Amino acid sequence: MQLISKFSRSGLMLLLILLIMLPFLISSSYLTHIVTLILLWSFVATAWAYMARFGMVSLGHGVFLGIGAYFPTLMFNYWGVTPWIGIFVGLVVAIVIAAILGYTCFRFGLLGDYFALVTLAVAEVSALVIMALREITGGSLGYTLRSTGRLADMQFADKRVFYFMALILLIGAMYIWRRIDKSPVRLALTAIEESEIAAASLGVSVIRYKMMITLLSAALTALGGSLYAQYVTYVSPDTIAGVGVSLSVCFKAILGGMFAVLGPFVGSAIIVSLEEYVRISLGTSFLGLSQIIFGVSLLLMIIFMPRGIMGSMSMAVAKRLNRISARH
Amino acid sequence: MVEQIIMALLNGILLGGVLALLAFGLNLIFGVVKIIHMAYGQFVMLGFYFIYFFYTAWHIPLLLSMAMGIVAMGLIGILVQLVIINPLLKAPRLNQLLALASLIIVVENLAQVIWGADYRGIPLTMPIIQFGEIFIRSSFLIAFIGAILTLGLLYLFLNRTYLGLGIRAVAQDLEMAKGVGINPNVIYYLTQATGGALTGLVAAFFIPIYTVHPHFGASFTLMAFVIVVFGGMGNLLGGFASAFIIGIATSVTAVLSSKEIADILALVLFIGMMMIRPQGLFGTES
Amino acid sequence: MLNVQDLDVFYGEFQAIDNVALKIEKGQTVIVVGPNGAGKSTLLRTIAGLLPPRRGTISFEGQRIDRMEAYHVVENGISLVPEGGRVFPHLSVLDNLKVGSYNKAARAKAQQWMKRIFELFPVLSNRKTQRAGSLSGGERQMLAIARSLMSQPRLIMLDEPSLGLAPLVVDMVFEFVLTMKQEGYTVLLVEQNANKALKVADYAYLIESGKLVFEGRSEDFDKNPYIKTAYLGI
Ligand SMILES: Nc1ncnc2c1ncn2[C@@H]1O[C@H](COP(=O)(O)OP(=O)(O)OP(=O)(O)O)[C@@H](O)[C@H]1O
Ligand SMILES: [Mg+2]
Repeated sequence: MQLISKFSRSGLMLLLILLIMLPFLISSSYLTHIVTLILLWSFVATAWAYMARFGMVSLGHGVFLGIGAYFPTLMFNYWGVTPWIGIFVGLVVAIVIAAILGYTCFRFGLLGDYFALVTLAVAEVSALVIMALREITGGSLGYTLRSTGRLADMQFADKRVFYFMALILLIGAMYIWRRIDKSPVRLALTAIEESEIAAASLGVSVIRYKMMITLLSAALTALGGSLYAQYVTYVSPDTIAGVGVSLSVCFKAILGGMFAVLGPFVGSAIIVSLEEYVRISLGTSFLGLSQIIFGVSLLLMIIFMPRGIMGSMSMAVAKRLNRISARH
Repeated sequence: MVEQIIMALLNGILLGGVLALLAFGLNLIFGVVKIIHMAYGQFVMLGFYFIYFFYTAWHIPLLLSMAMGIVAMGLIGILVQLVIINPLLKAPRLNQLLALASLIIVVENLAQVIWGADYRGIPLTMPIIQFGEIFIRSSFLIAFIGAILTLGLLYLFLNRTYLGLGIRAVAQDLEMAKGVGINPNVIYYLTQATGGALTGLVAAFFIPIYTVHPHFGASFTLMAFVIVVFGGMGNLLGGFASAFIIGIATSVTAVLSSKEIADILALVLFIGMMMIRPQGLFGTES
Repeated sequence: MLNVQDLDVFYGEFQAIDNVALKIEKGQTVIVVGPNGAGKSTLLRTIAGLLPPRRGTISFEGQRIDRMEAYHVVENGISLVPEGGRVFPHLSVLDNLKVGSYNKAARAKAQQWMKRIFELFPVLSNRKTQRAGSLSGGERQMLAIARSLMSQPRLIMLDEPSLGLAPLVVDMVFEFVLTMKQEGYTVLLVEQNANKALKVADYAYLIESGKLVFEGRSEDFDKNPYIKTAYLGI
């Protein structure tokens, strides 16, 4: 086991160094753009997996993405409030909504697929609210961020700033993941997943721990939504709120493996690259094709590799190591 | 205004019948196969396209096209069981849910690639029936009558035949159903075929009413879910009653405010129901 | 008629049946007794095809049935009355009986059999349209037995049919087992009520923690001092 962790730690370092140097090594701004998107979605998917890996599979994270994306954007366009503050407002709103939602769900003991369904409905509500308020939000046509190019408005001449912001956020999210792993929260929540009653009888405040993770996950997701909106300077219910994006975040994490810290990153890297590759090589008229490939590979994944790529890999490695140690 | 509300009420009842059909399928699949069919509304969209395709590309008479669409959707139901559900029968429920959610992506984009994003429909002129200030589209009336008749037939099928009995037995107690000599696989396929065919039938009823586009199905998945949860998951009669409640509520709200508000209302009801009475309005505890 | 050999059955890693062998001749009434958790139900469910054995063979009338699906086993003439009078609670009494005759062979003669069943169980004939879930415990047990008879089996397996019933009803159940014996059914009966069961049995097996610990005729059981104190309460 120690061998694995040592191995993966050095692998992680290498990856990190590579990611830091990447924008300076490659001159193509297009490639930097793709990697920025990968980092952004990895960050969101990692935050999503905070909850999912303890059995709280949310299909409604689009709500938090949407809040994070729309609040600073609208506040900036209408009132000229700098996104530096707007993001903070979005964050607070997301936390409040998550608190209300999470508390009612956990209070009523909503688990598993019931929890998933309710969160899915909430995601749909978020998209519908954006549509209903189309006078303000632009409805399904979306909404473009006013451009000023000023640093105070979080707009940078060099888009690589976003790259590094996303990278820092991702590293932070992974660091928090590790901290959760080492904290008693993890033990308690694993116990929750195994048996709610057992955990309760251990004196663990089930709801409190669940709430902590939920609020953290929602806050980081909203932050990811904000950064995404500032980066692409365009928001719409299809791309950053509602059911579609909720599912796509969850699929990225599942594909990579939602029980491994690197899983969401691996999943996001594969899916974003795949989407881009198909889009470029087949042209926009076949936009749907990449999604079909994506959907089919997800299906295969869920059927044949339910623990995701990283999960299956670490299981294979563990098996091999077991065999080696058994031989000695 | 009063006439408008009365008309909305009538339309709610008429469409409620079709929704009841959809909810019946979703409920049946949930009750028997024990899966939540996330892509059920999307199958209506697919059925619509099939009928459209048979009619416009192969120039098959409309009614025959519809029949073929129903059969095709039945086959797709079987395919779903074979390819997706069977391998996941013993997997955690959540995996089944996610697999069907990925099916949404496949189906919607398949439609997009084959038929494009445009709205497609078969232009039909159906008479409008008038009572004083109140107008009813005959297409709605036909859909309603057809749906109620179908539900009646399904009721007879479930209650009067051995296969229907097998379906009810598997829904109640799988292990014991096996023990009395029922082959559950046959029942699963039959259920999926019925559920699939129902989406084809609903699509046929929708042909004179709507035009179709790749994301046409999402709102019907939602609607069917709301109804099923409202009536109690797996509770066929509860689903039937709640189809009308939801149909009327959304149709009237849509007239009074907007389509989005009506949908939000339905979803909020759904969320509240899931939390407070997961057994549904008509269900009993456990 | 039924021949079980070297049977091992597992739930995951837990072994519930360990190297059990059992034999029933046509027309015999054989009982299996044992404490709670001994694996009696597991044994019956395995024979019925509801659980796959990990090792061993089960043959019925010379045919291997240990890899058969449950519905196929029923078609071949074995029927199980599950523990606790398990019926389909939301089906009517009539439908519960009808579902018993689900297999193709039984369907043809279902009407005829239904008549006979109602003669045998007059209690049920008054409650044809009642939901099975609303029957009393004793009635439910009767219905479960009647339902399995509807499949026209040659071997009928009963899993603790007297469990939780009032003494009077327990006597009825055992009388009924005797009736079936006289009618020529082969019966495999699982019971904790060893005293009563031994009275109707031609041959008996005792299992404890999944292992066969004793077998013999009723007299042999009565004579064994260990069994006497542990199971017969004498
Ligand atoms: N589905 C299951 N999964 C795991 N273990 C099981 C399962 N069913 C039974 N067991 C275990 O197998 C053992 C035998 O169970 P079984 O039900 O066959 O006992 P039994 O002799 O019928 O007991 P009783 O007299 O209480 O009915 C028990 O230890 C039980 O805990
Ligand atoms: Mg038992």
